[in-house]
Amino acid sequence: MHEMSIAEGVLSAVLDAADGCGARRVDRVELIVGQMRLVVPEALVMAWQVISEGTIAAGAELAVTETPMEAQCRRCGRKFAPRIDNYLCPGCGQADVDILAGDDIILKSVICETDGGDAGESKEDLNADQRSLRENTDDAEKE
Amino acid sequence: MKINVVKSVLDASDAMANVNRRRMDSVGLTCINILSAPGSGKTTLLQKSLPMLPAGVRTAVLVGDLQTTRDAERLEHSAAQVVQINTGNGCHLSPSQIEQGLNALDLAAIDYLFIENVGNMVCPAAFDLGEHRRVVLLSVPEGDDKVAKYPTLFQKADVILLTKIDLAELLEYNFDRVYDDLSRINSAAPVIRLSNRTGEGLNAWLNWLIAQRPAKRP
Repeated sequence: MHEMSIAEGVLSAVLDAADGCGARRVDRVELIVGQMRLVVPEALVMAWQVISEGTIAAGAELAVTETPMEAQCRRCGRKFAPRIDNYLCPGCGQADVDILAGDDIILKSVICETDGGDAGESKEDLNADQRSLRENTDDAEKE
Repeated sequence: MKINVVKSVLDASDAMANVNRRRMDSVGLTCINILSAPGSGKTTLLQKSLPMLPAGVRTAVLVGDLQTTRDAERLEHSAAQVVQINTGNGCHLSPSQIEQGLNALDLAAIDYLFIENVGNMVCPAAFDLGEHRRVVLLSVPEGDDKVAKYPTLFQKADVILLTKIDLAELLEYNFDRVYDDLSRINSAAPVIRLSNRTGEGLNAWLNWLIAQRPAKRP
């Protein structure tokens, strides 16, 4: 459950970005998570809901996309896409790699509302708490 | 409005890890992060092996657990300096906790600093603390299938210690299965079989340790 510490980092980056453009509310956050960071997206979303409480990002949707890995063999230099359970180089058959991609967590975009009324793709008439509640209810219905 | 950011969320954590590493580099100490499941013998390994290091080698341990100072108490006669870090409910040590630990130590009087991470095969693997080397323990009673089940932990290891090997026969442990899984996940890290109880393999571990100084990450 290291998702809580990751969610803290996400929140800090989101608030930095939102403050930078005078946002009054954050509606949606797009996050790209590398497979090697061992993140459970559902757990991260839950941690996000807890940690964003009381901030302008409260209730914002956190969209998590997992990225595949890319590695480079330290023996023969070949680049390839390993699996989380298989790092064998297709060139030389060794499992000795530098990870080039898939070991990072990238904040890709933040959709927010500013006082100018630019609402992006959001549902304007609901406040954050109501929306959060509605999303939670939707999730519960799905299950 | 949509703000395109493209920023690493782990910047703060990784930056702190790099600060820790530079701080340790500046005093010339070598930091070893030890990871494993709970109960695989991390504390016992340090208890047994640190006193076997050549005279004059100065050691310290930062030991992480959710609660209690039991491990620190167990280690007080094995290392010159021991600091317990209680993480509360935290499932891994973070670079900022290591920074606080470093503040509590006399860094100029340390050659090797061991970080005994929280026992957990998942979360600690995802955090660089600023260490120079990463050691992963896998004890025989945990089963010979764990490399395949927790690949990322082993992929990031610089050395792998198979512990409690005195139980291997009793538990019909299949070493070949472990080596076979490691050949796909990490064929670069040496594997040392050891038993804290019989002492077998402790010299190989110490030799590996001594070969890591001076160590700077590539």
